[in-house]
Amino acid sequence: MARKQVDLLQGTLDLLVLKSLAPGPLHGLGVSHRIDQITKGTFKVKPGSLFPALHRMEEAGWLQSSWGESENNRRAKYYRLTAAGRRQLNTETEDWQRISLAITTALKTT
Amino acid sequence: MPLIPRLTSLWRNLFHKDRVDQEFTEEIRAYLDMLTETKIRQGLTPREARRNALIELGGVEQVHEKVREVRMGQLMETAWRDVRLGVRALVHSPIFSVVTVLSLALGIGANTAIFSVVNGLLLRPLPYPESEQIVHVWHTPPQQSFPGLDKFSVSPANYVDWKAQSSAFEQMAVYTDWGFSLSTSNDPLSLIGAVVSSDFFSVLRTNAMQGRTFTTDEEQPGRDQVVVIGHGLWQRAFGADPNIIGQSLTINSRSFTVVGIMPAGFEFPREAELWVPLAWNDNDRKIRSMHDYLVIARLKQNVSLEQAQAEMSTISTRLEQQYPEENSGWGAVVIPLRDDLVGDIRTALLVLFCAVGFVLLIACANVANLMLARGANRQREIAVRIALGAGRARLIRQLLTESVLLGVTGGVLGLLLAVWGSRMLVQLGSLPNTGDIGIDTWALGFTLLVSFAAGIIIGIVPALQFTRTNLSDTLKEGSGRTGGSSIKQHTRKALVISEVALSLVLLIGAGLMIRSFWKLQNVDPGFDTSNALTMSVVLNFIRYPEPHQRLAFVDRAIEQIRAVPGVVSVGTTTRIPLSGGGSTQPFTIEGRPAGTIAEQPMAQTRYISPDYFPAIGIPLRQGRFFSDQDRDNSVPVIIISEAMARRFWPGENPIGKRVTPSFHPEPGPREIVGVVGDVKTSGLDVDMSAMMYLPFKQLAVPFMSFVVRTSSNPESLVQPVSKAIYSIDKEQALTDVQTMDQVLTKSLSDRRFNMTLLLAFAGVALVLAAVGVYGVMNYTVTLRRRELGIRMALGARRMDVLRLVMGQGLTLTLIGVAAGLISAYALTRLMASLLYGVTATDYLTFVSVPVVLIAVGLVASYVPARRATRVNPTIALRAE
Repeated sequence: MARKQVDLLQGTLDLLVLKSLAPGPLHGLGVSHRIDQITKGTFKVKPGSLFPALHRMEEAGWLQSSWGESENNRRAKYYRLTAAGRRQLNTETEDWQRISLAITTALKTT
Repeated sequence: MPLIPRLTSLWRNLFHKDRVDQEFTEEIRAYLDMLTETKIRQGLTPREARRNALIELGGVEQVHEKVREVRMGQLMETAWRDVRLGVRALVHSPIFSVVTVLSLALGIGANTAIFSVVNGLLLRPLPYPESEQIVHVWHTPPQQSFPGLDKFSVSPANYVDWKAQSSAFEQMAVYTDWGFSLSTSNDPLSLIGAVVSSDFFSVLRTNAMQGRTFTTDEEQPGRDQVVVIGHGLWQRAFGADPNIIGQSLTINSRSFTVVGIMPAGFEFPREAELWVPLAWNDNDRKIRSMHDYLVIARLKQNVSLEQAQAEMSTISTRLEQQYPEENSGWGAVVIPLRDDLVGDIRTALLVLFCAVGFVLLIACANVANLMLARGANRQREIAVRIALGAGRARLIRQLLTESVLLGVTGGVLGLLLAVWGSRMLVQLGSLPNTGDIGIDTWALGFTLLVSFAAGIIIGIVPALQFTRTNLSDTLKEGSGRTGGSSIKQHTRKALVISEVALSLVLLIGAGLMIRSFWKLQNVDPGFDTSNALTMSVVLNFIRYPEPHQRLAFVDRAIEQIRAVPGVVSVGTTTRIPLSGGGSTQPFTIEGRPAGTIAEQPMAQTRYISPDYFPAIGIPLRQGRFFSDQDRDNSVPVIIISEAMARRFWPGENPIGKRVTPSFHPEPGPREIVGVVGDVKTSGLDVDMSAMMYLPFKQLAVPFMSFVVRTSSNPESLVQPVSKAIYSIDKEQALTDVQTMDQVLTKSLSDRRFNMTLLLAFAGVALVLAAVGVYGVMNYTVTLRRRELGIRMALGARRMDVLRLVMGQGLTLTLIGVAAGLISAYALTRLMASLLYGVTATDYLTFVSVPVVLIAVGLVASYVPARRATRVNPTIALRAE
């Protein structure tokens, strides 16, 4: 499989951020690493899109942030999902599955 | 996001931008550092790692800017969406919106107007630096001589002792207000001013804007011919002449040098425009029994009011022991200046503030009811949105946004009303310190707060109700036949009941005021107020030093005035009845033990000309009036009032008895030659007091008021009578030119002001409550159409239907009235001090007002009931 990097659609980034935070709180770099990990390197999230997304989702009430200690004793801002964020993750996952199924089906038909 | 975190976040983003920015800078720095470390672990050199990390970040500032946009954008977007939705919903129902906004505007406007007065008079500090430290120190008079009086002016000797012996005050000053006539090239200008000691200005911590105030040197007789003028007078009379300082003015026919101009807004005491030094000679300083002065002082920084009061009480007790003859029974009281100036108006203002708050609450209840009624139509919209997944909180927020929009729009309109309203209040009421009343930042803040609160009050009940719907029921019901759930009906009824209750409280308050006013208007002042003109004159000592000169002036003036066509009779007195004040002195009765001055009974004293009684219309009860033969060389005579006769000679004939006024300059007994009717001296609501009338010709005091009885409208004689006096002395200023009816009206102006406002508020409340009852009954009829149709199909007569619907309306009203009566019973006692001749629980008011309200409630439910009787059974049943 060719390791090609893909540009992210807006909704997709939100979904990936929510997904990456589902297991537990992470700081910004952690989120970016986690996405890299779970998409097996397909998506590389740059800070230029990561931070606006994190702050937008925080304002929307999906995320909450707090300052904490990083693994090497550095002060970093951690994000975690709120209840609303968890609901949002479920909705978006369902939507995504419906859409991808539909598109896959559509593409299969000749 | 729930409301509270959202609000804190908004607060942070708007007002703590720096901190938010700084936090982000820190966050991004941590990110960079961690990224660099990762890269070092991957085998890059620190420099390369740092460089790569920075490239990957792609510019700290750009990222920061994007984040900023996102933070504000998200927030503004939802808020803006709610506002847009709200505006759209409101534009969709224009009549509802207009009615709502107007009723809120009225309610909020009235509240802001009253608040501006409360703020100006009760809340805002007086316009002097550290004004909370300024106090008035008064005497408290002996109660057996001055029953009911709790403060009294101060004598020179007592002031001198107070000042010397007290340590609680930084400064203490003495002053008295005084009328001045300033000579100009035209008619003399009559001005209000004050005679003040040199400390006066430093107690108020106000310096001259130009020039200076007085020095202690200028408290000496002979050096006191200097004057400080007010800013207003400087502009009005001298065209703001910058060189006025050092010039000389002729005031009360004496020459004074202008030494200073006070800054604009300095008008203490009330409306004073010029100040001259108070110069006592050594004899003046020893006078202990003539109470003519007011004492003002500034508390030391660390001294409390209680400490100052305790010290003054100690000093008074000491002075009582030292000078028992003059001082026994005389205490001292320290009152903060503001409390003293605002005085009785506080209760009235608080009552009005409460009343106007009630009006707004009633208006809110009405609007909430309207919203509930309208909500019936929106219920489907809301149910659909809930079904589509809208959260309850999100919907409540949106509905509240809508109602707050209404509130704020009402508030903006209300503000316009308030600007006009507060001006009217100032004109209508004789309020102290009127310069301070107006719409300022505080009033704006208050309006904003009230608008928001009103928006939330009108929105919260409907918002909670609508979003608690049973989805399937609402959706199943057909269009237009929704919203009859019993809970909602209960809410609506509860709202109407509280409206009725609140308006009953207001109506009872207004009713009590009207009853008081009515009783007062029927009080006989003791003289004839119609067709009488009055004006006052203060003769100055320079031009009229000798009593015979003053007598000559008065004789000539009476002669000249009597010659004016239309004049029936003319007399003089030293104080017009109903205008308040007037001198009081102790007296002794021949053949009865005299006692010390402090133990002697007191009576009000007036010096009058022979024709005073016929001119003002006070009837003779016994004996005779004074005549021209009662002169300085004839037998000393006196006329007393009925109250005095009753009190001191019960069952006896006082004619021929002899009394001695203790302060009269010529000692010796005076023979009582007549008894006249009682008059109200201080106001219609004050009891008749003992009065002594002495012939002006036996003591020519330099101040007097003319009373002119006319055959026609007295106002048409103002010009000719003034001219008659100017023809004798063109430098003699006239003050207080007014008809006796105007004096009477003025004496009632405070009461009229309170009554009019309270009545207006109560009227508005009554109308609103009627609309409320009407609204809810009308709605009930709509809901019960089908049921009513069935009843009528089964043979119910129109009368039965009418009774059914009106009965329901009546029940609502009655519950409201019952609740209102209980609240009124508890609340009206707060206004007891504003009443006259009625108790706060006056049964007539407590019976008649509910009757009126019930009648109004019946009328309001009659209209919908009529509609109910016209329900056509077939149509009503088919509609389902």
